[in-house]
Amino acid sequence: MRLTTYLSLLAASVVLLSGCQENKPGAETKAGESAVVEVITPSGAAMVFVTGGSFTMGSSKGSPDEAPPHQVTVGSFLMDKYEVTGAQYVTAQLPNPSRWHENPKNPVEQVRWRDAKQYCNERSLLEKLKPCYNEKTLDWDCDMTANGYRLPTEAEWEYAARAGTEGDYEFGSADKLRQYGWFAENGEQKTHPVGQKKPNRWGLHDLYGNVSEWCEDVYNATYYQGSPATDPTGPPNTGADVRRVIRGGSWKASAGQCRSSARQGEKTGDSDACFKTDYSGFRCVRRVTEAELAALKAK
Amino acid sequence: MKSTILLATILAGAATLRAADPQPLAERLKVEPFALVYETYVDDNWELFISNNDGTAPINLTKTPTVHEHYPQVSPDGTKICYSVDEGEGRDAVRSLWVMGSDGSHRKKLAEKAREPFWSPDSKRVGFLPQEYPKFNVVDYYTKGMSFYNLATGVITPHPNTEKLHHLYNPSFSQNGKWIAAICHAGMGETHAIFLIEANGTKLINLKIPGCRPCLSNDNKSIAWGSTDNELSVADIDLDSDTPKVAKPRLQIRDSEKFIYHIDWSPDGRYLAFSGGPKSKGDPSKKGTFQSACEIVGVYAPGWDIYAVSSEKTGIIDVKTAGADEVARFTSNGASNKEPDWMPRKPAAK
Repeated sequence: MRLTTYLSLLAASVVLLSGCQENKPGAETKAGESAVVEVITPSGAAMVFVTGGSFTMGSSKGSPDEAPPHQVTVGSFLMDKYEVTGAQYVTAQLPNPSRWHENPKNPVEQVRWRDAKQYCNERSLLEKLKPCYNEKTLDWDCDMTANGYRLPTEAEWEYAARAGTEGDYEFGSADKLRQYGWFAENGEQKTHPVGQKKPNRWGLHDLYGNVSEWCEDVYNATYYQGSPATDPTGPPNTGADVRRVIRGGSWKASAGQCRSSARQGEKTGDSDACFKTDYSGFRCVRRVTEAELAALKAK
Repeated sequence: MKSTILLATILAGAATLRAADPQPLAERLKVEPFALVYETYVDDNWELFISNNDGTAPINLTKTPTVHEHYPQVSPDGTKICYSVDEGEGRDAVRSLWVMGSDGSHRKKLAEKAREPFWSPDSKRVGFLPQEYPKFNVVDYYTKGMSFYNLATGVITPHPNTEKLHHLYNPSFSQNGKWIAAICHAGMGETHAIFLIEANGTKLINLKIPGCRPCLSNDNKSIAWGSTDNELSVADIDLDSDTPKVAKPRLQIRDSEKFIYHIDWSPDGRYLAFSGGPKSKGDPSKKGTFQSACEIVGVYAPGWDIYAVSSEKTGIIDVKTAGADEVARFTSNGASNKEPDWMPRKPAAK
């Protein structure tokens, strides 16, 4: 084993064993920085290990639904390095629902919330993991303890997007957004192949722009006023036609809509045969044990 | 004197108007030489039913408690029905295409991992859309290419443009044999478009009409389709032309509360059947069903029934407020009755 690999593994193990650590707001995240580990999963997906920690979620400067800023702690997880692409849909034997479907490296869009969950389950089965979503329930309830793939919680998404920073964007101010994302000002009214823009400091691409990304949570504009401090999973499902959270802005979003803390509730499209929301995509996460991470890294 | 004459005239006019009250559509349909075939969900099972033209005397044509039949398509000569069959559950389900006589006899499997069958005008070939991948998926546009099964020889022939045909669903032949109408979602360079596909060539015409699920009339002069979830449209089109174009809709069937889908022309083009009911996304407790938009084949649609209107009307028919002279109801049990298809029958002896 190479020394660097060994050191990375050691660092990751220390973090896993020590549990969640406090990240200093605005500072480069020592734990996160040293623990960033990239892996390729058995189905070929590139993922980044995100070390758990605490951060300030939300903002007092954005829309009312982003307030109040509050401390949240999330556990460690693997997150897709890129948004899920058309090529990955082929691997999972799923029909690519995208408006821009010609280039397999484009992120999938026009994805219903449950279609995203179906992809997660298919990928779990491809990799012999336990699927998180129970397909026998009306909303495909999520087993957060399963080791398969799922959509990120809103907290996990923002934690990964912030990568240990506070402020509107991980990279600083809006004038740098063109370097990090495809949005209304540079997106040319379409999606673009994933990974063409700079990643954030944790190695994650396209968190800002390209396609908005489904999260697991039910959207509620006032949720932050009383949300749990540890691994929040969103408000309870109230039934028919709830909106789910999408994050990160898209090719048609303003710079403001791409901010780390910007929230949006979107209709799931689950009862819509002709879902044409051409900016809704996603990326997957999953929780891993130390042994699973070591095995992935060894490959 | 003048006022007496005027009153008498008014009363006589009113009596005439009463006498001319339009006949309920169901009564008119009773004497027409058609039957109606549709899918329904009974006893935890999808089955195909046939009923009289007024919805009476429904008969279970399939009676198969272990497999699930849907999407009946009656041959133009009225002698056969092709349909899809699901066996198994969830992602292990297998959808295949079958044909049977119009009385449910002589069943024969035509193709596996295929869907959306449709008849050639001569009733000798069944067109269908192969699944995109081997694994099951309930999504309606989960197709790649197009093929034809020759009933006499058993030979399957691909459409000459099969390589380019992607994510089509709901195909139907024009009766002059020139065109196949179908809807495409996220394929063939389109987000969502209704196409005319040249039956024996490679020409593709995007009809540029919003919506989905086109159906062509037997006289090659009209098209009906679902223009929104709550509206069905009917318009003129010249299918004998080499460049057919859709005119402005002459009839729109609307329901502000319910979804309305699956429009189908009667053999003589004078009536339209369709199905409708509440918006929903399936019921995981129902065996042999899947979760998605409830109008999709294989998704249980609670509260859905079959209706008919006259296609000779123009303007707007509001299903919610229309009288019995405008809308006939074929089913009323709400048991996921969908995909109606008219069957020509010999005129009843008088």
